[in-house]
Amino acid sequence: MLPSSRPAFTLALGLLGLSLALGMLGVAGGSTGLEPLSTLWHAPVAQQIVADIRLPRVLGAWAAGALLGLAGAVAQGLFRNPLADPYLLGSASGANLGVALALVVFGGSPLASAWLARLGLTGAAFVGAIAGVLLTLSLARGVQHTLRLLLAGVIVGVVLGAAKDMLTLAAPESLQAMQAFALGTTGFVGWSACLLMLTVWLLCMAVAWGLSRLLDALVLGEATAQSLGLPLAPLRLGLVLVLALATGCAVAQTGLIAFVGLAAPHLVRTVVKTLHGPLLLLSSLAGAVLLLGADVLARLLLAPQELPVGVLTAVLGGGYLLWLMHRRVRLGAAS
Amino acid sequence: MKIIMWLVLGLYLTSAQALQITDDRGVVVAFDQPPQRIVSLLPSLTETVCELGRCARLVGVDRYSNFPEHVKALPQVGGGIDPNIEAIVALKPDVVLMATSSRVADRLQGLGIKVVALEPKTHADVRRVLHLLGQVLEVKDAQTVWRVIDAAVSAAAQSVPASARGQRVYFEVNAGPYAAGEVSFIGETLTRLGAKNIVPAALGPFPKLNPEFVVRANPEVIMVGDRNSVLMAARPGWGGIAAVKAKRVCVFSPAQADVLVRPGPRMAQGARLMALCLAGQLTEAAP
Amino acid sequence: MTAMHSVAIEAHSVTASLSHVPVLQGVDLMLGAGRWTSVVGPNGAGKSTLLKVLAGLLQHSGTVSLLGRHLCTWTARHRAQTLAWLGQGEGAGDDLLVHDVAMLGRLPHQAWLGAPSGADFAAVEQALRATQAWDWRHRALGQLSGGERQRVLLARALAVQAEVLLMDEPLANLDPPHQADWLAVVRALVAQGKTVVSVLHEISMALQADDLVVMANGRIAHQGPSKEPATRLALEAVFEHRIRIAALGDEWVALPRPTYPTV
Repeated sequence: MLPSSRPAFTLALGLLGLSLALGMLGVAGGSTGLEPLSTLWHAPVAQQIVADIRLPRVLGAWAAGALLGLAGAVAQGLFRNPLADPYLLGSASGANLGVALALVVFGGSPLASAWLARLGLTGAAFVGAIAGVLLTLSLARGVQHTLRLLLAGVIVGVVLGAAKDMLTLAAPESLQAMQAFALGTTGFVGWSACLLMLTVWLLCMAVAWGLSRLLDALVLGEATAQSLGLPLAPLRLGLVLVLALATGCAVAQTGLIAFVGLAAPHLVRTVVKTLHGPLLLLSSLAGAVLLLGADVLARLLLAPQELPVGVLTAVLGGGYLLWLMHRRVRLGAAS
Repeated sequence: MKIIMWLVLGLYLTSAQALQITDDRGVVVAFDQPPQRIVSLLPSLTETVCELGRCARLVGVDRYSNFPEHVKALPQVGGGIDPNIEAIVALKPDVVLMATSSRVADRLQGLGIKVVALEPKTHADVRRVLHLLGQVLEVKDAQTVWRVIDAAVSAAAQSVPASARGQRVYFEVNAGPYAAGEVSFIGETLTRLGAKNIVPAALGPFPKLNPEFVVRANPEVIMVGDRNSVLMAARPGWGGIAAVKAKRVCVFSPAQADVLVRPGPRMAQGARLMALCLAGQLTEAAP
Repeated sequence: MTAMHSVAIEAHSVTASLSHVPVLQGVDLMLGAGRWTSVVGPNGAGKSTLLKVLAGLLQHSGTVSLLGRHLCTWTARHRAQTLAWLGQGEGAGDDLLVHDVAMLGRLPHQAWLGAPSGADFAAVEQALRATQAWDWRHRALGQLSGGERQRVLLARALAVQAEVLLMDEPLANLDPPHQADWLAVVRALVAQGKTVVSVLHEISMALQADDLVVMANGRIAHQGPSKEPATRLALEAVFEHRIRIAALGDEWVALPRPTYPTV
C-alpha cells in the first residue's frame, strides 16, 4: 500500500511528520493559549484536560480530515472531475435533514430529549447521510451512468436542502442547533467518536485501495476501462458506498466541514503524480493535516473563543491553492 | 391683527399636539395622533405594547410573537427579517414596530407607512423602549410599569439565598457552544441576581467558546437555553465539572427560554426563573 | 494458446443504435485472423460504432463471435486478455505518468491486488519502445503534445499483447514519421499472427491494409482484399466519386477530387 515511488513516499513521510508536529501543538494549546508541555505534565487538572479533551480532539480532527480527504479523492476519481467533493451525492444535505428531523421531532418533549441523547445527533446525521446517498442512487437508477449520478446528486442536494429549510422555518427553535451543526466543530469529539472514525477510516481505506484499479482505468475513459475487463457497475457501487460511509461518519462527528475533501487531492496532485492507490492514502494524510491545522488555529487564534473550523479550512486550503496557481502562472509567463 | 393672532395660536396648538420621537436608527418619526392600528415585527416589542395596555390596538404580529396568548390569534405577517409586505400593507397600520437590523423599513416607508425601529438589547434599553412607546401610545403611567418590573427583578434577586450568591454560572445559549457573557441581556440579569458569570465581559455578549474553557472554569451552576444542546454529561471531560456532578444543570423549555432571552417586559419573570435555578429549586425535568 | 482460427471476428445481422438513433442496420462481417483489416467510409457511416460492437462495448442485436465463440460466452477478463480496443478521443487524465498509463494495459493479465510482474514490465517496455515513448516514460501525460499522448495511448493498447487489436483512428495527431512507425508496428503484429482492425479516415493509409471493409449509412457496402479492383471501385463509389484512387508504384493512394464550380 505504501507508495513505491520516491516523491510519493517522501510526501507521505512529510505529511505524517506534519501531523505529529500539529498534534503536539494541538495538545499544548487550548483555551488558555499555548502552554509548554512540561507544565501540562505536572498539573493534574491540566492532565485530565489533555487526556479527556485535547487528545481525542486532536486525533478526531486528524481522523475526520483523513476520512474527508479519502472521500474527496474517491469522488474526484469516480467522476473524473477535479471539482468533485465528498458531499456531491447528497450526503451533506441528507445529514443536515437528518439532524433537523431529529431536533424537530424528538426535541419537543423532555422524554424524547433523552432518546435524542441516546441516539445522538451523530446517529441522526449518519443515517441521514447514508439515506441521502441511497436516494441519489435510486434516482439515478444505479451507477451505470456517471452523469446521471452527478445530476441526481445535485437534485437530491437541492431538494433535501429545501426540506430542511422548511423544517427549520416551521420550528425556529431548532435553528440555532442546526447552525451549530452546519458550521462544523471538533469540540465534542470524545474517545469513542475518535476510535470510531479511525476504524472507519482504516476500513474505507482498505476497500478503496482494493478498488483503486478501477479509478486508474477510469482515467482512460469508461469504454476503455470496460474493454480492459473491469466490471464497472459493481466496482463503482463499492466506491460509492465507501464514499457514503466515510463522509457520513465524518459529518456525523464533526458537522459539515467544507473544502477539505475538495482541496486535499489537489494539494497532493500538485506535488506528486501517482496512481490512485497511493493517491488515496496521500489524500487522506493531506486532508488530515489540513483539518488538524485548521482546528489548532481555530482554538489558538482567539482563545478562549473558538473560530468555526470550516472558515479556517477554506482559508488554509484555498490560500495554498491560490498561491500554487499564482506560482504556476508566473512560471508559465516567464517561460 | 386678530387673524394673525389666531393663526399663531392655531399653529402652536397643532404643533403641540404633534409628537416627534427618534427611533434607534436615528430617524425622527412624527405622529399627529397616537396610532390606533399597530403591526409589530419583534416579539419583545409586541410584549411591550401589551404591557402598556394597548394590546387591543395590535392588528398584526410576526410569526415569532407568542405572548400574551391571544396575540397568536392575530394575523401573522411573516418573520421580522422576512415579513410579508403585502400583508402588512393590507392591514393598513398607522405604525409598524420592528428591529433596526431589518432592511424592510425602507420598503415600508416607501409605501407611505410609518416605521419605528427599536431593538432593546440591555436592561437600560427595556426601560428606554417602554418610555418611548409610552410616549407614542400616550400611556400616562409608563414609568410605573417600569418601576414594577424593576422592583420585581430586585425581589427576585433578594429571593436568592445568601448561600447561593456568588456562584459561578455558565449560561449556554446553544450547542456551539455559544455562551451568554456578562454584557448580554441574560448576563446583566445574572449579575443583578448576584451570580458570577464564567464568561468575562471582554469576550463580548455571545462568544463561541472552546469547551475546554468551561471545564477549566468549573461552574457550579449551568443553565441551558436550548433544550437541543448535547447532553452535558456526554461531552468529553465535562463529567468532572462541579455543576454536572452535583446535577445543578437547569434546562429551560422553549417557552422559558423565550422569557429569558427576550429583552422585554417579562424580564422579571426571567429573573425569577434564574433565581429559582440558582437556589437549586429548578430541576432538569421541570416543564 | 487457442487453436488457429481462420476467422478472428464474425458478425451476423448486427443492429445497434446510439441514444435511440439507429446507427448499424443489419451488418454481416467476417474478419480474417492474422490479417490487417481497415474499416473505411464517409463520416457518420457507423465505423466507430461497429468497432465498439465488435469489442463488446455496446448493446446490439444480432450475434458477434470472437475466435469462433459467441462474445457473450467469454468472461470479461478472458475477453480483455484476447481483444484490445483503442478508442477515439477517449479522455486521459493529465496526472498519470506515461509508464503508469502504459501499465494499465496489463490490467487484464494482473491479479486483482497483485503488483506488476516481470512479464508486465517487459510488455510495457516493448510497447513504449515500439511507439518511441520509452525515453519519457516518467513524464506526466499533461506535459505531452497531442501526438505524443496518442503514442502513449497506443502503447497502452499494445501492452495488452492481445491476439486481436481494434483501433479507432489510431493516427490522430500523428505526424508522417510516426504514422510510418505505426505502420511498421501493425505489420510486425500481423507477421506474428495477430489480427488488427483499424478505423482510418486516412484512406491512403487504409489502402495499405490487407483487407478493406467499406461502410456507408450503417451497412457494409463491400468487403474484400484491398488489392482487388472491385474494392477500390466500391471505395470510390461510397465517397460519391469525390476521391480518386491512383497507383503509386505498386501501392495505391487516394486523393480528393475537388469539383470545380461550373461558370
